[in-house]
Formats: sequence, C-alpha cells, structure tokens
Amino acid sequence: MMRDAAIDVRALRHSYGQREVLRGLDLRVAAGEIYALLGGNGAGKSTTLSALLGFIRPGSGSVQVCGIDPATAPQDARAQLAYVPESVALYDHLTARENVEYFLALARAARDRGTVIDPALDAVGLPGHAWDARVGGFSKGMRQKVAIALALARHVPVLLLDEPTSGLDPSATLEFNRLIETARDRGVAILMVTHDLLSAVDVADRIGFLSEGRIEEELVAGAAGARFDLNALHARYTGAKVSG
Amino acid sequence: MSAAVTRIAREEWRALARNRAGLIASMLLALLVLAAALVSVERRNAIESERARYQASVDHQFDEQPARHPHRMVHYGQFVFRPLSPLAFFDFGVDGFTGNTIFLEGHRQNSANFAEARQSSLLLRFGQLTPAFVLQNLAPLLLIFLAFASVSRERERGTLRLLLSQGVDGQRLLMGKLIGHAGIALAIGAPAFILLLGIAASGGAEWGAGLLLILGYAGWLLLWAMLAVLVSASVRRSRDALIVLVGVWMVGVVLLPRALPEVAAVRTTLPTRIETEVALHRDLKEIGDSHDPDDPYFNDFKARTLAHYGVARVEDLPVQYAGLVGMEGERISTDLYARAAARTAGLEAKQAGFVQSFSALSPLLAIRQLSMALSGSDMGAHGHFLDAAERFRYRFVQALNQMQVDQIPNTNAGEDPRIAAENWKTVPRFSYTVPPPPGLSDPRVLPNLAVLGGWLLALVLLALPVARRLGRAAR
Ligand SMILES: Nc1ncnc2c1ncn2[C@@H]1O[C@H](COP(=O)(O)OP(=O)(O)O)[C@@H](O)[C@H]1O
Ligand SMILES: [Mg+2]
Repeated sequence: MMRDAAIDVRALRHSYGQREVLRGLDLRVAAGEIYALLGGNGAGKSTTLSALLGFIRPGSGSVQVCGIDPATAPQDARAQLAYVPESVALYDHLTARENVEYFLALARAARDRGTVIDPALDAVGLPGHAWDARVGGFSKGMRQKVAIALALARHVPVLLLDEPTSGLDPSATLEFNRLIETARDRGVAILMVTHDLLSAVDVADRIGFLSEGRIEEELVAGAAGARFDLNALHARYTGAKVSG
Repeated sequence: MSAAVTRIAREEWRALARNRAGLIASMLLALLVLAAALVSVERRNAIESERARYQASVDHQFDEQPARHPHRMVHYGQFVFRPLSPLAFFDFGVDGFTGNTIFLEGHRQNSANFAEARQSSLLLRFGQLTPAFVLQNLAPLLLIFLAFASVSRERERGTLRLLLSQGVDGQRLLMGKLIGHAGIALAIGAPAFILLLGIAASGGAEWGAGLLLILGYAGWLLLWAMLAVLVSASVRRSRDALIVLVGVWMVGVVLLPRALPEVAAVRTTLPTRIETEVALHRDLKEIGDSHDPDDPYFNDFKARTLAHYGVARVEDLPVQYAGLVGMEGERISTDLYARAAARTAGLEAKQAGFVQSFSALSPLLAIRQLSMALSGSDMGAHGHFLDAAERFRYRFVQALNQMQVDQIPNTNAGEDPRIAAENWKTVPRFSYTVPPPPGLSDPRVLPNLAVLGGWLLALVLLALPVARRLGRAAR
C-alpha cells in the first residue's frame, strides 16, 4: 500500500500488561506539516512516540515512518527520524558540543563542527559561552536546547518531539517555534507532543486530542491570522483531560 | 567492527578520564601493584641473600667439624634452604605457609614433610602484599566500581532512549560497553603486565611463564569487566547492579576460596604430626628393633651379613657391623617415612582436588593455582624441593654410615673412635636447582586457563540475549 504521510499510524493498539493505553489510534503527519498532539497525563502520547521509535511492539494496527515499520526495522526507521525525549538526558561529563557530536557520530550523521554542530547550537539560541561547558551545570531549558539542536542537526525527514518546550522560557519557546517552522518549510514532518496550548496554536498545522487511547478530535488550522480558536481549545483541552 | 562500537568504547574511556573518583581509584590500584611488586621483589631478594649467606655458613660450619665419629655427624644435621623462583615475588603462593628452610637429620625424614609442621618456617614468613594478591582480590572490586553503572545509568538517566533513537542497536551498544571496559580492565592490569614483560626481557625470568601469567590475569580481569557490564545491562537500577556484583565478589573471591579448604579438611582429615610419629614408631617396631638381641628381623640380617662375608661371628667381620645395622635401619625408616609422606601427600592432593573442582564456580581458584604454579610457589614446587631434600638427606646419611662401616674398626676401637676431618669434605652437598616453570600443557596451567576461557565464553554467550533485551526494553 502506497502512503504519502511521513508518519502513518493506523488502528494502533497497545497495552502495558492488562492496561490498554492505545485503543485504535489513527494519526498521519505529512511532510512539511506540524502536528501537535495534546492529551492529559497518561493519555498515551509518549507511548505513541515509542511505537514510532520502535521501542515498543504494538499489539495490533500498523505504524510506518517514511514507509518503514519501526517494529520490524527499527534501525531503518530511526535513521529517518530525530527525537527529543520528554525528560532530556545528556551526558553530564561532556560539553554541549561533545554531546551533540557524540550522538551525531552514533547516528552516522555529518558532524562537522563549523557547518553542522555550531550552527545548530546557534540556531537554538544556546549562548556561545556554554558550548564548551559541561552540560552537568546546565538548566533544564539549556539541556532542552542542546537536545533540540541535536535533533535539528540530524537533518532527517521526521521530528518527534516529546514536550519540547516544557523547560523553555516564553521567549525561548517563541524562538523554538520559529525553528520548527523553518524545519517544516524544508519539508520535515513534525509530530510534537505538548501541553503548551499557546505554542500549539502558534505553530501547529493540525492539533489532535488524544483521549481514551484514540484521537478524539482533530482540528485543522484555519486561514492565517486566527489559526485556532484559543478559548474554545482551552475549554476543550481542560474538559477533555483524563484524570491522573 | 562498526564505528559505533568503537565510538561507544572510546566514550567509556573519556568518561573514566573525566571521572575523578574512578581515576584516583585506578591510579591507587596501579600504585598498589607497583608497591607490592617493589616490596616483594625486595623481600624475595632479601630472602635469597639470607639463604645464600646461611647456606654458606652452614656449609662452612660443617667443613670445620673436627675429627669425629661419623655417626655424630649424622646427628649433627643440617639446614637446607630452598632457592626461590625468579617470579616468586609476583605470587608468594604457599611459601608463607610452608617456609623455605628445612632441617635434615639422620633417622628421621625431615619434619616439614608432615602437615602440621608446615605451619612453621624458620627464616621468614611472607606477607600478603604481592601483585598477585592485588590483582586477584582488589582489582575485581575496582572493575566493579568502574562498570556497575555502565549501562544501568544510561537507562536510569534516559540517555539510553536517546542513544537507541540514533539508530544504535542493543548489540552494538553492549559490545561497545564491553570493549570499553575490557580496555579498562587491561589498563588496570598493565602495570603488572609491563613489570612481568620487563623482567622477562631483562632475563630475570622465563618468557613463557611471564606470558602465561599475563594471559591468565588478562582473562581474570576481563572476566570481571564483562560480568560487571552484563549485570549492569540486565538490571533496572545501578544500585541493584552494585549489590549483585559485590555479592558475587564476596562469595567468589572472599568466601568460597576460604571456606572450601575448610570443607576439604573436614571431608579428608590429615593425620596430625603426633599420629604420624606414633604410627611410624609402631611400624618400625613391627619390622624390627636393632637394639633387641632377640629381634627376628635383625637376627636374620646378622645371619645374612655373616654369610655374605663368609665369617661365623660379628667380631670377625672386615667391616663395622654397627654401621651396617645403621644403614639398614636408615633404609627401613626412610622407606616407612617415604610411604607415610606419600600417604599424606595423597590426602593433601585429594583436598586440593576437592577445592579445585569448584574452580568452575569460583574462577579465583583457577587464577590462584595458575598464578602460584607459574610463579613457582605452589605446593608442587614445594613438593619438588622436599623430594630433592629427602633424596639428599638419604645420600648424606648413608655416606656417613658408609664411612663408619669402612673406617671405624669393627672391634677394639677404643674409647672414642673417630675418623679424620678431611672426610667431611667428601660428604655430598645439597644443591638444588629450581625446576623450570610449568609450560602451557602442564595440568596446573591448561585446565585453569580453560576455566577462565570457559567463563569468558559463557559471558559472551550471555551477552547475546542481554543485548536483545537492551535494544527492546527502552522505556
Ligand atoms: N513501560 C511501561 N510499563 C507500564 N506502563 C506504562 C509504561 N509506560 C507508560 N505506562 C503507562 O501507560 C500510560 C500512558 O503513558 P504515556 O504514554 O507515558 O502517557 P503520556 O500521555 O503522559 O505521555 C500511563 O498510565 C503510564 O503509567
Ligand atoms: Mg509523556
């Protein structure tokens, strides 16, 4: 079956033990699109990303990243995507540059300092004096920036972002939004899990609400200007929130 | 090998280079190995020069004895000293227990051949701080300390997910970690290895023994590094890895090697010195008592002797009859002592065999035996010396007895018969050359290398399922 979407999830079901977290999830993100996935704590957002990363083997349904099934060919799928985890973990004993360089080396990606690493660190707004500092002393936001820089430096067709703005201050969030817009304009498919409604409204082309293990509602951005109705979204979001 | 594997391995080294505690601990261990080597080389040389000095003075004293009855010289007795093998500094083995000096005397086989006497050593008791001790007991702890969190920390901190999301699979990741820590293990062994190579290169010891020691210890250290990484990859938390590994160390390195000889001693009891003496005395009595005029054995001996020389009375013998009786008595008692010693050695071998049969469980037993054998300080090396000493003692005593037979008048010898002091110079002298170290095919070498190799192989096989799980279970 030919599929256009870079991210294509169909009828995905997944259980942890007895607990069914995903119950027939359908989700497609095209190249050059930003999809914001919203949902309460424990709704299954990170689990969805794990399925795309090939970290879990779904019970049923199909998952494809650029036409590759991550459950059967995780290495091939991972070569197509970059991932910013929910709680960013880096090596404390390495500097920002060294962290990025190490992960790029493992991804067998280009990692020239002058043309790849430094521009990426610059783009995410990490101050130059921090590039050669060990990340052990970094704030959550600074770590987040390093992880985002790494994801951008991979230059892959798919970005999976798990609450990428959670540690960032508002101005850094705005900068981040501009960054991923640039990536989208280059044709990258971006799936962003977030609790940050403002940010979602700012950049997303579509917003999906994950609840009860499936996309309960999906909103498409309107014409430029009033892309989404923030108030309606807020009411929808707080109302749709599952407990826990 | 893939670039990712070597990169992950190199990253472990960079992490160690930036881990101050780990670096300091590693340097301390290296210093300890070198200090142990220096101290024990010094001690070995001190013992060797003491030995040379004592042996010279003992020989001199013997030469200086005036004209005497040869039998008094039999009882004069003498010390013999065991020269140490060149590598004895590396591993003192049982030397501290057996000592390296024995006293030889007529009629009785040297007492060191009987177990209880192995407690004492006249010259020196060796201390414990040798390179072998450090490598066997402390190096595994350091390797545990450096590797217990190697994989579990990545899991705990979340870097594992990021790592795997770059397209590194569990196998490459684990292999990189294993190679990284294997390198660290070899680096930790390096000071000792360089020392051994240096000594071999300078002609101080045989290349073969040095290289086999390096091979054995490299295997031993690699085994701990691999075990630590695999445990770290198998558990969820670093704390659990540490508990498991320290537990394995306590049982395998501390407990089993100390408990097993106790168990062996209970299973196979060695006769005490007193028991042995009593039994020997009884056996001797049973064969014959030369002081008893009605003793059937010695009456028969007398008859045979008289027949041999074609005379009717002891007084008519052309040789000294008491000397002949002495020689016969020495022959009998030596034979009995030899048999008793063989029995004891057999029991000891049984005990050792029991302990060694657990080496598959505690490879420390394998490296320990290998190390002692190659350093020339195991029971086998000691036994070789005892055999040589006992053969010498017999020749020595019988040579003096022969002088009595030939030179002391059979009758009318006067109050205090003596022979000239020049005779003492013709008595055999003890000369012992340390046997060459065992080669690869020696039963103390190859099976122990096989145990270490088997462990390494088992760990490699274990790594496969661990790697598969690692690649999947990235929460
Ligand atoms: N590895 C796991 N084993 C068992 N339960 C899990 C596991 N990962 C997540 N869960 C549970 O599944 C549910 C969904 O988790 P997750 O996808 O992380 O939610 P979120 O939408 O907050 O990212 C939660 O209730 C969580 O406790
Ligand atoms: Mg989550």
